Amino acid sequence: MPVSSLADRLVALVAGGTPRVEFGRLTLDVPAAGWFAAATAARDDPATDLSCFDWLSAVDELDAGFDVVLSVYSATHRHRALLRTRVPRSAPRLDSLVPVFAGADWHERETYEMFGIEFTGHPGLVPLLLPPGFEGHPLRKDFVLAARVAKDWPGEKEPGGDRPRRRARPLGVPEDWEQP
Amino acid sequence: MTDLPPRSRGVIALLEENCTSCMLCARECPDWCIFIDSHKETVEPPGGGRPRQVNVLDRFAIDFALCMYCGICVEVCPFDALFWSPEYEYAAGDVDELTHERDRLREWLGSVPPPPELDPTGPVPAEVQRARSQRAPG
Repeated sequence: MPVSSLADRLVALVAGGTPRVEFGRLTLDVPAAGWFAAATAARDDPATDLSCFDWLSAVDELDAGFDVVLSVYSATHRHRALLRTRVPRSAPRLDSLVPVFAGADWHERETYEMFGIEFTGHPGLVPLLLPPGFEGHPLRKDFVLAARVAKDWPGEKEPGGDRPRRRARPLGVPEDWEQP
Repeated sequence: MTDLPPRSRGVIALLEENCTSCMLCARECPDWCIFIDSHKETVEPPGGGRPRQVNVLDRFAIDFALCMYCGICVEVCPFDALFWSPEYEYAAGDVDELTHERDRLREWLGSVPPPPELDPTGPVPAEVQRARSQRAPG
């Protein structure tokens, strides 16, 4: 199925869905309330048949909240689509897709521990990769990387061992991350 | 070693004589795994002239436990002091033993492959053109 007709079909199936095609890939933005229904409809409709779960993850969009992204594939039609929804930062909560795709179990656990997004209806929402007792959500953009704070930046020294004229900043480390 | 592709990223070798301890590699390294210490020395140029200050390298170490083999340091080095060597057998029993100092980094220079041949159909390099025109003017 060409990507435009897949988009049309998904828009007809999913209430409030907004399609967007970039580089030949379809992304369908759906409202968070219709997340479960959208994934179910995309899986069960014979024309879309997006029944192969690829992956699920999230993107930290700062004040706008978190985008939860689901990648699904059709083995019969050989097309794929991304379903995306946004949850607010103050209450990151979303319906679990484990009843739709059993394979979403570990992906939701990882998204839960990395972004702190709660998946309601998940059969066992416990951290997957992080050690027990780990505090914080490492893939949130406001998470301070301990490795970048505990250790001195080796590039701070000047050539020839001079005292630095102005404090050089390591690349990619935000200003407000406290240095020891 | 010979059956590995010439651009294999095994380990990073250091040609110390070319290093000016400019700190570019240490600053560009995304993993913060290059450590450089240096000091300044004043040298009198032979045959007179103004004394010059030069940077003298005290320490150059790469922590291969942190290195992700991106090769940015090799790319960024303005004086060709860092090279990729295809040598890969330097596993250690402890992560601390993966920080290799300049003497070890020099040993790997021996396995650095020669630079690839120029494309025979490509343009003649500027310095070759210049040399040719000097040899046969007009």
